[in-house]
Amino acid sequence: MKLEIVLMLAVAAIWLALALVYALVPGLDMPGYIRVWGIGALVFLALAAVLYRARRNQT
Amino acid sequence: MEPTQLESKQHLTTRRGFIAAFGFGGVALYGAWAAYGASPLPFTHASGGHAAHGTAPAKAPAGHSGHGADPLMTPDEFLRRHEAFLARFRTPDGRVVVPAAAAPEDAHADHGAPQPHATHGTPTPPPAQSHAEHAPQPADGEPLDIYLHAFRFGFTPDEMHLRAGQPYRFRMLASDVSHGASLQLGHASRIVRLRANVVSEQTITFHRPGRVLVYCTVFCGPAHDAMSGRIVVA
Amino acid sequence: MSTTSTTMTSPRAPQTPLSRFATLQTADRLLCGVLIALSLFALALGIAYGVAMALVRSGLLAPAPDTGYRVLTLHGTTAFFYWLYTAQAATVLLLAAAEKKGALALRGLAWAGTALIAAGFVLSELAAIAGPPLLYEANPELGTDDPRTVAGMTGGYLLLAAGFALIALSSIATVLATRRQADGGLSALGFGLLAWAGFLIVSAVAAVNAFLPGLLWASGFGAFPHAATTDWHILFHNLHYLPLMATVLVWYALAQDLTGISPATGTAFSKIVFASYLVFVPPTSLYHMFLEPGLPESVRVAGSLLSLFVSVPTLIAFLIVVASLEIHTRAGGEGGMRARLRRLPWDNPAMANMGVAILTMLIGLAFAFVLIQEKLAPLLSDTMFVPGYFHFFAVGTVTQSFIAMLAMAVPAVSGRPLWRPRLLCVMPWIVLAGLLLFGAGGLGAGLMGVPRRVVDIGYGGEAPAIWRPFMAMVGIGGVLFASALAVSVFGVLRSLVPGRRGLAAAAEPHVAAARSAAAPAAAAWTGPLAVVLLVAAMYGATIGAFELMQSLPVTAAGGGAH
Ligand SMILES: [Cu+2]
Repeated sequence: MKLEIVLMLAVAAIWLALALVYALVPGLDMPGYIRVWGIGALVFLALAAVLYRARRNQT
Repeated sequence: MEPTQLESKQHLTTRRGFIAAFGFGGVALYGAWAAYGASPLPFTHASGGHAAHGTAPAKAPAGHSGHGADPLMTPDEFLRRHEAFLARFRTPDGRVVVPAAAAPEDAHADHGAPQPHATHGTPTPPPAQSHAEHAPQPADGEPLDIYLHAFRFGFTPDEMHLRAGQPYRFRMLASDVSHGASLQLGHASRIVRLRANVVSEQTITFHRPGRVLVYCTVFCGPAHDAMSGRIVVA
Repeated sequence: MSTTSTTMTSPRAPQTPLSRFATLQTADRLLCGVLIALSLFALALGIAYGVAMALVRSGLLAPAPDTGYRVLTLHGTTAFFYWLYTAQAATVLLLAAAEKKGALALRGLAWAGTALIAAGFVLSELAAIAGPPLLYEANPELGTDDPRTVAGMTGGYLLLAAGFALIALSSIATVLATRRQADGGLSALGFGLLAWAGFLIVSAVAAVNAFLPGLLWASGFGAFPHAATTDWHILFHNLHYLPLMATVLVWYALAQDLTGISPATGTAFSKIVFASYLVFVPPTSLYHMFLEPGLPESVRVAGSLLSLFVSVPTLIAFLIVVASLEIHTRAGGEGGMRARLRRLPWDNPAMANMGVAILTMLIGLAFAFVLIQEKLAPLLSDTMFVPGYFHFFAVGTVTQSFIAMLAMAVPAVSGRPLWRPRLLCVMPWIVLAGLLLFGAGGLGAGLMGVPRRVVDIGYGGEAPAIWRPFMAMVGIGGVLFASALAVSVFGVLRSLVPGRRGLAAAAEPHVAAARSAAAPAAAAWTGPLAVVLLVAAMYGATIGAFELMQSLPVTAAGGGAH
């Protein structure tokens, strides 16, 4: 269970990092990538959150 | 819940580390790239003569006017130069004939007509170029500018006569929707993609005489199939 | 059935994922049945358009150009979007229900999703039939004269995206409600389903990013979507990655069901592999854009380098699954490779489809890796090379893996035995033969410069004559694999019609009778050996392409744009 949460958080972190690269590196003029990878990071963050809640409910 | 778990002593081939390592097998292809000088990391710069075949900004344009010679050529600017290009090289029968190094009279005419005042980031052949004409085929000569206009559904010029061994700087514009300006070179092609209203540039040298089919490889509408032109390399 | 002779009967029946389809609730069986039928209808239609396209490209049919491109648009829209995404919606839901062994959570949401997908399907098809061909990416540039078509196609896609997102939500809720393992965690497959469903939702977001601006413009509410090309590439990268992740999860489930053993590498490792899919997706997205003018050289270079990692999760999952299969074959005693291969349950259509899917994935990968090298993009992008290799994945690997899963699931859904399993076992091999022909023709044609999206490649006699025979191979191979696939589709659809026979009797013969008594220390060399062969094939293909590139009588430099 703990592993599952850690994995989802890791995925969210990597997606967020890529969204930031697209947002902050000048010359990479592709705002679509910021939106998709950024919102994706939120989705996996949310999955980590529901896994965490499920774990708490169980114990 | 899960079926029988295989535990205890495992064979090497079913160990996690072993499987993970083999999972990275595809990365080994980097070796093939390195062998052809197409390795993206600096420490394997296998700078063979091969490298020039890629799309990378190789020797040709880098030397002189360099890459960002004219930072932003607008489509309007392109079309203006394209008109001048046609006016200069169009023959009475409608073909466009661009000599290896512009013939002396052309060279002079050029400096009068097409770009009289433009701040010359644009390398129309400088006077020095006419010397090059004495050497039959200057392999690393100054590139001559070609203006190829792609539109629904054709190219102008649709027939160009060029010389082998002479580098040409192809400036290309798709002025309505996206098009292709790919070159069929016998046993294979060189694919070129043009996006609408973006001026693209490639320096191209043909090494052998022959006919080259120029064809559109990006679907652009009903008469896409008919969209072609030709380059005759002498 | 060969498995019965090579496995030891165990005291209790194995709790493998797919045998658990037997626990599907009646209401869920109806929902899953509707989704499966919808997806197979899309596949059948996509195959029909595909056959027409194969005939056109081989020169056997010569329609008006507009008709040719309309069929191409319909083929891509139907087969890529509506088949692959409805099939994924059905699969994620079925596997989630099987995980829970109980009623689906948020079933109403899943029904709403199914309705949205159906509505989107109708809308996209009508728009593609009535309007000018925009190709399956619904390119707004091509619809400037007819915004209604852009609105119809993008609107349809947005409904599809909303539909599979809702079904993903229902699947997530279902998986979260499963009874946990001893350690309080999900099973490996359960976690994989969660990751996959999350990725489906992200892709729905990418679809909104790609298609909403077009829809707004076409409806008069927004500016023309100038970023449509880039936004399409982002969506497309997600969309072609997702079915592979789905495939791997299906293999994972099937391998357990067919062999009765779970991977020797353990649950935690499998979870890491499934999560790694999501890790490798965003960084590998650039290679679709190598031919785009204006992409900085540094981005091109970084894109090539990162793309080398694109196959890592797939290959690891491949190794896990193949190891399970191999250990299963060793359990029946020693013997040569051939003797052991024969011990796999090839008389089960699921095994036959999955076996061929694994083979075609290896073939496809060898050629896919030619395209991730940015310096080879000018040789092959936009040529027949691309459809030549991707049908190995789209048809051979992904579609047949879904068929494999449906061959297991449909009898449980309908309560009817699978239609002519013997015949359905042969079809994947015919698909393979057709794909090899189609692939050889397409890859060869592509290397010689045949464009992928030109209906009539004659160019008034100026095109090389050798283009024709290669395209004839594409046509023959395409018709061959399409016909065999159509038989499989018919078989599964036929079995979906609710029957009188009892559920247990229907599901029984196609599920491994018992788990193997595998030696724990058994070796599994087939997978690693296959990877070595794959790398050798990749080298061959890439070196061949470089050599061809260098033999061109032309030197070109600078792909830049201003
Ligand atoms: Cu065109």
